[in-house]
Amino acid sequence: MSTPILELDAVSKTFGTGADAVHAAQSISFAVNRGECLAIVGESGSGKSTVANMILGIYPPTSGEIRLDGSVLPARRQLEHRRAIQLVQQNPLSSLNPKRSVGASLRLALDVHDIGASSERAKLVGALLEEVGLPADFARRSPAALSGGQRQRVAIARALACQSQIVVLDEPTSALDVLVQARVLKLLNQLRETRNLTFVFITHDLSVVRNIATRIAVFEKGRMIELGDTETLFANPAHPYTRRLISAVPVVTREEAALRSSLAAGLEETTE
Amino acid sequence: MKRTLAILLANPLSLLGVVLVSVVILSAVFADFIAPFPEHRGAVVDFANFNKPPEWPYIFGTDLVGRDMFSRILYAYRISLILGIVVLAIAVPVGVTIGLVAGYLGGWTEYLLMRLTDVFLSVPPLVLAMSIMGVLQPTLANGMLAVTAMWWPWYTRLVYNITRGEKEEGYVLAAEVIGASKAHIIFREILPNCVPAIITKMTLDMGFVILIASSLSFLGLGVQPPTPDLGSMVADGAKYLPDSWWLTIFPGLAILVAVFGFNLIGDALRDILGAEQ
Amino acid sequence: MSTPTLDIQNLTLGFKGYTGFTEVLHGISLSVNPGERVALVGESGSGKSVTARIVLGLLQELRTARIGGSVRFEGRELDQLSRRERHALRGKAMSMIFQDPTSSLNPVFRIGDQFHDVLRRADPAISRDAALERAAAILAEVSVRDAERVLNAFPFQLSGGLNQRVMIAMALANEPALLIADEPGTALDVTVQAQTLHLMRKLVEEHHTAVLFISHNLGVVREFADRVYVIYKGRIVEQGATRAVFEDARHPYTRALMAAVPRLTGGGIPDIEENSPDFGAPLEIHDAEARA
Repeated sequence: MSTPILELDAVSKTFGTGADAVHAAQSISFAVNRGECLAIVGESGSGKSTVANMILGIYPPTSGEIRLDGSVLPARRQLEHRRAIQLVQQNPLSSLNPKRSVGASLRLALDVHDIGASSERAKLVGALLEEVGLPADFARRSPAALSGGQRQRVAIARALACQSQIVVLDEPTSALDVLVQARVLKLLNQLRETRNLTFVFITHDLSVVRNIATRIAVFEKGRMIELGDTETLFANPAHPYTRRLISAVPVVTREEAALRSSLAAGLEETTE
Repeated sequence: MKRTLAILLANPLSLLGVVLVSVVILSAVFADFIAPFPEHRGAVVDFANFNKPPEWPYIFGTDLVGRDMFSRILYAYRISLILGIVVLAIAVPVGVTIGLVAGYLGGWTEYLLMRLTDVFLSVPPLVLAMSIMGVLQPTLANGMLAVTAMWWPWYTRLVYNITRGEKEEGYVLAAEVIGASKAHIIFREILPNCVPAIITKMTLDMGFVILIASSLSFLGLGVQPPTPDLGSMVADGAKYLPDSWWLTIFPGLAILVAVFGFNLIGDALRDILGAEQ
Repeated sequence: MSTPTLDIQNLTLGFKGYTGFTEVLHGISLSVNPGERVALVGESGSGKSVTARIVLGLLQELRTARIGGSVRFEGRELDQLSRRERHALRGKAMSMIFQDPTSSLNPVFRIGDQFHDVLRRADPAISRDAALERAAAILAEVSVRDAERVLNAFPFQLSGGLNQRVMIAMALANEPALLIADEPGTALDVTVQAQTLHLMRKLVEEHHTAVLFISHNLGVVREFADRVYVIYKGRIVEQGATRAVFEDARHPYTRALMAAVPRLTGGGIPDIEENSPDFGAPLEIHDAEARA
């Protein structure tokens, strides 16, 4: 079997020291294969964002190793590492600079990583916009002139601009309306296929994960408590917390409600 | 930009501001053509016409050596505006850069830069300027230096606070993840978001710089005779109140027009640009 | 039939701005009967939150807002009430729960004092001790066990879930006839949100409180409401009993909305248009005879 594109080996992160120490992530190990969509699911304080930030190199792990294509990532990331791993954030309103045009935001990645001759970059920006389903002339617009869904498409285009291999998607559709969410998820699926991308999908939304992830890692209080294929995990969740999480999801059809109550059976009704 | 201008002209108060400031700027720029006695800006003596109340052709009267007050006020505006522009042209880039760097980098850099700023902020502006002017020669250049030295920290504070907020925005994180340089993030990403606040403050400050410069001249520490200056004109004329009222009232009104005009525009800009964010 | 607790007829709302007049609500009609849980569901910008604000009398004071149509609360036209009467209504006969519990509670006062303030609106003479006792009783109803600790705490010392329950208890403390809940629990974790909704449902049932529930989350609406209004771009496009709307959606917009929600049972991401001329189709009413 080929080397996983991304590996976490006993990665921990502690903030603060002594009595104030917060163990945000404790000995997390998993591997992500090229082309898959691994979802990290958990509630606030689960450590899912901490792990995402370490993968992105926003801060280094306190202990443990993160490997990209088999080689250990240093605490200070080089440009080539940055180029390989990109990010799509939750809130497209904040993730695009309101004072810079869409084109300028996209071009930054091309300039920093020296992609294409500088005379060709405007054309590349147009091509990126078209790839995410937007007209090329959106490059001249300000983010304020775009809808939430369009802004998120721009953010996705930016994550692809430097020909990244791994995209960390941090709740990429939580701020969007449900009709827009469906379109954006569709686009992400399609891009994963055409560009052979690897996704690390951070979310709390199990209904989304059910339909987009190949595997799911469930986090609770800084630990990874379960990791499995999407189908398997939903058919037979091993950990009670996973069952609790799935049975708390608000659903719209009878079939879903039935699935939920079958998982909830055996769980005690707990409050706090 | 066009929208900003349209809103400025639609509101009666800000329209008044635009009119007043236009009058000041036009007077300063075209003083040579408007002034009935351009030579009166210098050391001219005309004892035949000294200390005259307003009457044709001296519409604002004449001073104690017979110079036309109206002409002198036009040239005084020129000095005031140059002073304001030069002060801001130095204070703003210095203050803004320090604020951006301290706010974005944090840590020791932030600590050192902001404590330095606090030191300057803790000295009352006029006192600092007076001590600098006291030590150095009271010339126009030193006047500018003095006012500049006390002006930049306000821009540092302003920009520092905005930067601290902007730093948490997603677009800064996005640029960091892409691998953009610190210089790029500071000057190309964060700075544009500070510009509306900086422009607003600069407009308000034009009025205040003129006022401070006038205060210094009033105390005899600013622009030196025979160069016309609104502050020293008020100071010189004050001794002859109320009989020769035109010696103080007209330069006083001139200061009021300039300061009030810039303030009206500044207030309006604050509302307009603030609402856009 | 008894008077509806809330009866909105042909409500319109527009805003005057720099760029001219924008109409936000194009004549919406909805009613909430005593003890009934009614949801107004729509996407952002549909006009659902401004509707709640009009009912609470919060937009009437805005100079740029132009409001038309009628809003009746227990048979009384809101428009004809004085500002004071409207103010007296809020927090007493009508109360509200907001999206983010922690920021809607006042951070500088203890929970107990905030309860006292709320209870004083209905009974100005109530003593602090009596208020705290009453507060503890209603907190017990939302499964807050150590009421004493909670009443002595400041909002920031409590978890988001606990604050949300405090908000619910506070909103129901004066036995209002109508509760307006604007996206309650959206800011909370899924498991906490589920619990909160469960508690809220139990409580309004017991107290026979009418609820206008504003939400974008179809799943949450299905679990909470008896009846649903679907709002799209300032118009109601479909209305009826929750079950009827969810199992037999008729309006193209409602159908698209339902189809777009990813299913817990799988099936992939549906192929749905974000926009369609069909979404402008006329209102679909499910239980027309009962509503006439």
